[in-house]
Amino acid sequence: MDKVLVFVETKGDEPRKASLELLCEAEKLAASGRFSVEAVCFGAMSDALKGKLLASARKLVRFTDPELAVYSPEGYARALAGYAAETGARMVLAGATGTGRDFLPRVAVMLGTGMVSDVTGANWFDDPMTFVRPMFGGKVFAEVAAPASPVVVTARPNSFAMDIPEGINGEYEERAAGSLADAIHTRVVRVEETKGDAVDLTEADLIVAGGRGLKAAENFRLIEDLAAAIGGTVGATRSVVDAKWRDQADQIGKSGKTVSPKLYIGAGISGAIHHIMGMDTSKVVLVVNRDPNAIIFNYANYGIVGDLFEVLPAMTEEIGKRKGRG
Amino acid sequence: MNILVLVKQVPDPEALVEIAASSKGLNIEPRFAVNLFDEFALEEALRIREKQGGKVKAISLGGPKAIEALRTAIAMGADEAVLIEDETLAASDGYNVALALSKAIEKETFDIVLAGRQAIDADRGEVPQMVAQFLGLPHVGVVVKLDISDGKALAESSLEGAKEVVEVALPAVFTAQKGLNEPRVPLITGVMKAMKVQIPKVAVEDLGLAKDMVAPENSKTKIVGYLPPKKRPAVQLIPGEAREAAAEAARILIDVERVI
Repeated sequence: MDKVLVFVETKGDEPRKASLELLCEAEKLAASGRFSVEAVCFGAMSDALKGKLLASARKLVRFTDPELAVYSPEGYARALAGYAAETGARMVLAGATGTGRDFLPRVAVMLGTGMVSDVTGANWFDDPMTFVRPMFGGKVFAEVAAPASPVVVTARPNSFAMDIPEGINGEYEERAAGSLADAIHTRVVRVEETKGDAVDLTEADLIVAGGRGLKAAENFRLIEDLAAAIGGTVGATRSVVDAKWRDQADQIGKSGKTVSPKLYIGAGISGAIHHIMGMDTSKVVLVVNRDPNAIIFNYANYGIVGDLFEVLPAMTEEIGKRKGRG
Repeated sequence: MNILVLVKQVPDPEALVEIAASSKGLNIEPRFAVNLFDEFALEEALRIREKQGGKVKAISLGGPKAIEALRTAIAMGADEAVLIEDETLAASDGYNVALALSKAIEKETFDIVLAGRQAIDADRGEVPQMVAQFLGLPHVGVVVKLDISDGKALAESSLEGAKEVVEVALPAVFTAQKGLNEPRVPLITGVMKAMKVQIPKVAVEDLGLAKDMVAPENSKTKIVGYLPPKKRPAVQLIPGEAREAAAEAARILIDVERVI
């Protein structure tokens, strides 16, 4: 049986969504009988987190090296590539999160293999395996074959269904990679949490984004209120980030983040190509704009031609009523 | 401080990209630009040199046209440039590209390698980290602030939204993120200089690599075809006054699409 390693990122007592999606996908591979799947975790792990992971993976391997308590590209790559080499893994998977995209390329080189980054689809049972990934900011998708082994892949969050398997009670193993201290040449001096516990945009299911049409930074309250009503995350266009109305971390688009939520609501956004590139893989898109000719209507499922200062509060109120009742 | 900057020429962000009839290739409108994120890398290199002295050298890998990206680098203020000229290799996978770049970098004396965090054509975001691994160097990714002193760097990275300040001894590789700086517009004198300068070209064989080792058919991953993005159905406009339209939108999201 071919071994599949899924690198799992965690935050507090929770696995990250991108990791959980991959574990769900990997469980389908395990269920086929052709692959054996192991979730690989680094650093501390609470009992609650362990319980959640053992319900989603048939085997969980945690590396206990103290050097892995904090992220370092070299340390993480050494531990993951070392384990993949030792176990003869056929595939190494990780979420295409900031962290995953940062160190998996090093893993690929350590294993002498190539990688396929930011995939949105996979044909696991083809020979060679093929993957689908966006290029040119999503203007086209490439079908990429990976004839070398192992295959190193990062998968875009929200690309694989979160079908939590039932009846899994995985086995647990602790290991140490060993001799990591000499391999790590970076040192984290301090961490500034800028976003608190808010869901990262790239992993958000529901996003409400605002643009220049909001007219002023304080009017983003309308976006925040609607986001709060639906339990969503706030996004922004480049122009409002450049105008310092919102933090860089909120920027959706070519020079910001690429998002694929279940729902994207955009208000006061004209639809510049660099913004479209960051949101066009969203499932349902609803936009509000005064200008019926705004380009963003071409990239939407639903459109309201109207004044966002009237429409947004009315939507917030209506959804509040419906959900409150619901 | 000797700084190497990896620069990629990419199609202009506004260039038309279409899938060829065979679906095996792309028809790309021939308008080119320096990769957006590489401009941040270049600008940072120039600023470090202005403060600390030294030399900035731009390295690119691409077809004959890529020389234009290096001319832009010179026009902005880079001291030197070199092109690894190989159109086939440029179309290869991240591993091969990084391998060739690392071989070119090995020939240089340097303290810092700067590159954009991602090229806006292939969107892989793999090459700088792979180069670091090939060279056995540390890297800090997605850097929004970089301070160099005493042979060390303090790099502020925004990998996951939260900002992390990372200390690393040089030499090291850094990938530039938007926010690092505002790239300068080349002065006319720089442009004049760039037009005249002779930019050396090297072939992969000069780097000690076998020509066919980096051929697409020997790539560890390869593109076998292209697909169009999923087409969204035509927009459905929700009619009515603001209040009415808002209520209908809420109904659609809750009852029809069931997304909230």
